[in-house]
Amino acid sequence: MTGGLQRVASTAVLVVFSLLLTVLILWVSGYRVGDVFSGIIQGAVTATGASTSTIRWAIPLLLIGLGVVIGFRAGFFNIGGQGQFYMGACCALAVSLGWREGPAPLVILCGTLAAIGAGTAWSLLPGYLRVRFGTDEVLTTLMMSFIGALVLQYLTAGPMRNPSGTGQTAASERIPDSFRITDGSGVSTTVLLLVGGVAVLVWLLLERTRFGLAMTLVGRNPTMARWQGINAGRVGLATFALSGALAGLAGAVELYGPGARLVTGFSPEVGFTAVVVALVGLLTVGGTVVAAVLFGGLQSAILFLPIVTDLPPPALVLLHGMVAFLVTIKFQAVWRRTGPGAKAMAS
Amino acid sequence: MEQILATTLRSAAPLVLVATAGVFAFRAGIFHLGLEGLMIAGAFTTVAVGDATGSVELGILAAVGVCMILSALYWWVIGPLGANVIIAGLGLTSIGLGGTAFALGAIFDKRGSIFTDVVLPRPVRGITSGPGVIISELSILVWITPLIVLAAWFALRRSRFGLRLAAVGEYPFSARSVGVNPSIVRLQALLIAGALCALGGAELSVGALRNFTENMTNGRGFIAFVAVIFGAWHPIGAAFAGLFFGFADAIGIQSQINITERVPREFVLMIPFVITIFAVWLGGLWRRRSLEAEAGYAELREPDY
Repeated sequence: MTGGLQRVASTAVLVVFSLLLTVLILWVSGYRVGDVFSGIIQGAVTATGASTSTIRWAIPLLLIGLGVVIGFRAGFFNIGGQGQFYMGACCALAVSLGWREGPAPLVILCGTLAAIGAGTAWSLLPGYLRVRFGTDEVLTTLMMSFIGALVLQYLTAGPMRNPSGTGQTAASERIPDSFRITDGSGVSTTVLLLVGGVAVLVWLLLERTRFGLAMTLVGRNPTMARWQGINAGRVGLATFALSGALAGLAGAVELYGPGARLVTGFSPEVGFTAVVVALVGLLTVGGTVVAAVLFGGLQSAILFLPIVTDLPPPALVLLHGMVAFLVTIKFQAVWRRTGPGAKAMAS
Repeated sequence: MEQILATTLRSAAPLVLVATAGVFAFRAGIFHLGLEGLMIAGAFTTVAVGDATGSVELGILAAVGVCMILSALYWWVIGPLGANVIIAGLGLTSIGLGGTAFALGAIFDKRGSIFTDVVLPRPVRGITSGPGVIISELSILVWITPLIVLAAWFALRRSRFGLRLAAVGEYPFSARSVGVNPSIVRLQALLIAGALCALGGAELSVGALRNFTENMTNGRGFIAFVAVIFGAWHPIGAAFAGLFFGFADAIGIQSQINITERVPREFVLMIPFVITIFAVWLGGLWRRRSLEAEAGYAELREPDY
């Protein structure tokens, strides 16, 4: 078996195993297995509006996930997608509310650019610290993510709060309807073209350009990349910037698409799920698209159509956790255990 | 003033316990991002078992057991099975958060939170009025926490296990060459960390309060991890960092009560995260070469998985 096929197969096995484990837990707690599966299929595909909902939830996962793929390719853990996503959405909201009377296409363009800028800035700080000082980016991106969530909380509870809002959770004012690029379903031709275009561009960048090759080299072996005349620092910075830009863009799409306003702590899991999506997609663009649709479908079935499916929402978080827990297992490590030196490898 | 002091101690105790857990993991070269998940699993198990048996001791014992089993699984996945430490750790956190929220619905048929009658004993009694009344509300775990920190420091600095752990974290190869199996030492460190996380979670659910709420740890596991870094992965340092973050939390609670002080609570809550970024940056700058855990950490954290 070729290496690529083996990786696809082992990842598929692990994802299916995690799913079965979750279903087992559901079964032990009294759910019927048949109902669980038919619920997932209904909520993700067959029920009215389910397939639209699947795509709607796949879109942010795909955009942020592509950012994670770019980061991993160059050997960086950008696990702060959540904060970059929030900051993007906040800046797009600020532009749209501040310039309500502006011509819609121009405001949307400016808002989207602001979102991309905000996401970029939010990941460039950890990126700069990493490239310039060697500061560990796992912690800094995570911290920036928490800070971003608190900024969102502050904005929606304070300066941008909708004063006439009556809901329990703080939410911002709605943006004018003319600024929206989809209806409430969150899917429209514009959005699909945009996201599809971004995916193609990322694929071209990674697989067909000199820069993509440089990134992969830096990820595999920075020293070697440097010897080949690649400026590893600059590649690293660009990687972080692109990664954050995609998460910021996801924030703008969320606002101009299905959201129309921002609620404190909306989509709280999307940043982490996107990391899982990227890993399940084996850090390839095509794989990430497939994984994003898969996880978008699960999210749609469990979180957003619970009436159809009758499944408990926390089960989804549990499932994501299981997939993340298991997906990076190296099957080779399991097979090789019997050979000489197996202990040394394992520890 | 007494109010802030007592609130600080109460907020800090779970952080300090979990930070001590983080120190053990970090010394073994494991970048343990699953602390949050273990903590909430401990908080839930204490309430669930304590409520069922009516005994808080049994609840805590069960919580320690559950967290140690989860830690052993984590070790198995990142050790023998070669999974990525960071991703699996984040997965563990999600398993804890999702699993407890799910179990809350499955066992108690409730969403959100449950109340319980079991509570940790509170050793200081008899103060019924005046500012000291808050002191009498501190649970026994708060009083024991300093002893646990000292014991951890002693174990890491003076015991055979602590020295082995240091060797494994610093340079696994040398540890292996003198007949120490790094994998087993890491397992032991993770088991200790699991038990401490269970205590931290228990203090959160039945020490300060009498309930379990979905997502009640609210990032405390990560803040505790931050305290480990901020405290230079020394138990005493981490404890003081935890105390400081507890103080920041207390100020945040106070500023919420006194509306006159117009510092938005969100900014107070940001303090640990902002400080961490600086601490990680400066720490890396100053002691780049002597990062104790770096060797083991680098070994575990390969870019190509």
